[in-house]
Amino acid sequence: MIELRGVHKAFAGRPVLVDLDLRCDRGEVLFIIGTSGVGKSVTIKHLVGLLRVDAGEIWLDGRRIDALPERAFHAIRRRVAMVFQGATLFDSMTLAENVALPLRKHGRMRAAAALADARRRLDEVGLADFVDRYPAELSDGMRKRGAIARALTLDPEVVLFDEPTTGLDPINARRVDRLIRELADRRGVTAIVVSHDLASIFAIADRIAFLYQGGVRACGTPAEIRGSDDPVVQQFIQGRASGPMETPGF
Amino acid sequence: MIARRPLTAIGRRALDGVDAALELGRVAVGTIVGALISYWRGPRRRGEIARQMYFIGNRSLLFVAVTLGFIGMVMVYQTCLLTTQVVDGRGQVGAQFARLLVLDVGPSLTAMMLATRVGAGIAAEIGSMKVTEQIDALRMSGVTPVDYLVVPRFLASVIMTVVLTMFGMAVAWGAGGLTGYYSFQINPRTFFDLSMVAPAHVWLGMTKAAAYGAAIPIVAGFCGLRAKGSSEGVGAATTAAVIGSSFAVLIIDFTISAIGLIIWGAGL
Repeated sequence: MIELRGVHKAFAGRPVLVDLDLRCDRGEVLFIIGTSGVGKSVTIKHLVGLLRVDAGEIWLDGRRIDALPERAFHAIRRRVAMVFQGATLFDSMTLAENVALPLRKHGRMRAAAALADARRRLDEVGLADFVDRYPAELSDGMRKRGAIARALTLDPEVVLFDEPTTGLDPINARRVDRLIRELADRRGVTAIVVSHDLASIFAIADRIAFLYQGGVRACGTPAEIRGSDDPVVQQFIQGRASGPMETPGF
Repeated sequence: MIARRPLTAIGRRALDGVDAALELGRVAVGTIVGALISYWRGPRRRGEIARQMYFIGNRSLLFVAVTLGFIGMVMVYQTCLLTTQVVDGRGQVGAQFARLLVLDVGPSLTAMMLATRVGAGIAAEIGSMKVTEQIDALRMSGVTPVDYLVVPRFLASVIMTVVLTMFGMAVAWGAGGLTGYYSFQINPRTFFDLSMVAPAHVWLGMTKAAAYGAAIPIVAGFCGLRAKGSSEGVGAATTAAVIGSSFAVLIIDFTISAIGLIIWGAGL
């Protein structure tokens, strides 16, 4: 369904992705893991045109999308939603207005109808009492749930999660895990999740791709990754400070 | 290898420069097209435009009044000092000051003040949204960032820069008149003389004010949208916006003045 072929990406001459190949099937929960700065977020931003490849190809449902103009990505962003690392709710809008925005812009709904729909969706994620609050008046967990609600307003086929549990307490983190798993199991939503959270990774992933030095070092089911004989993979999943892994900055 | 590194660095900077110029062009075209569509269909976000007009206009009133007032006083004081040294030309100061104020000093100095206050504010706000991925979230929500963030500021800035220019000119003229009266005993009837101000001067001055008002949010919005990294990147974007907006004011001043001279010639 989604495929990256030989993707290269560099920033200011520094290569981040080098000949990256990755595939994600429909309805799958794929985790992309790796050390900080290895290019996990960069990888998923390419899928919705927020970043453009220097070389390589990106395919979505048999259609090559990496060279499409910005305008053509509007239709793709209706189908592929993204939850950013920070909640990224807009400061100048209430929670309901934030969630209503994609309905108004992508869904072409009128403001009143979009707001009513947004309130209903926020009710579903337990934020009914906070719909008229501004993001600054909400906790981190509420903001994150609001951002997830906003990403799901258009009933996307694919959701990209960029570190969805970072900064959340363990209870809220597991709730987010459960939500991601339910989206895949009940609605057939494909989820690509960038994460460092090993508890999440091994609890809900169908497959895991381990990024290292710009490419996919290992890819497989949680059991396959756990049983990998690659010392670099083992160092990462065991969280050992010393080992063969070369981490920039340390 | 050693020789190639500086060449690579120069090449990369040149490419970055070209990339930035193209991006500025895209922001400018996107903003102007968005504003024209707003004009054609009626502005879609009246509340946001009103909020920006308040921020750019009302919140700058004191700043512009104090700055233009003091500049008016200093200019008149210095001019009177000079004109009384050889022959007494105080009678001409008010009329010439009004002409200079309308043609150049009023619009340009008001815009320079707005370039610092408004330009920095726009760049900081949009830059913060950029580094916290709110701009990416806007794009994911089906919103064009230039259309959503820069166009309302552009419309508000064009209107309010013209209004503030007129206000600033009035304050400078009044302050200059008071200085002339109390320091050099120039009769107010003599000072407040508009005989040297021609319609062409008013046209040119107001055209400059509108052009400055258009340029400041475009340059500042462009700088904000290119912010990178974290708070340091927002700071750099803000500084670049102030410098860029001020340069834009100077370049526009020169360009419109030159066009004015070509059209009206020595009669200007």
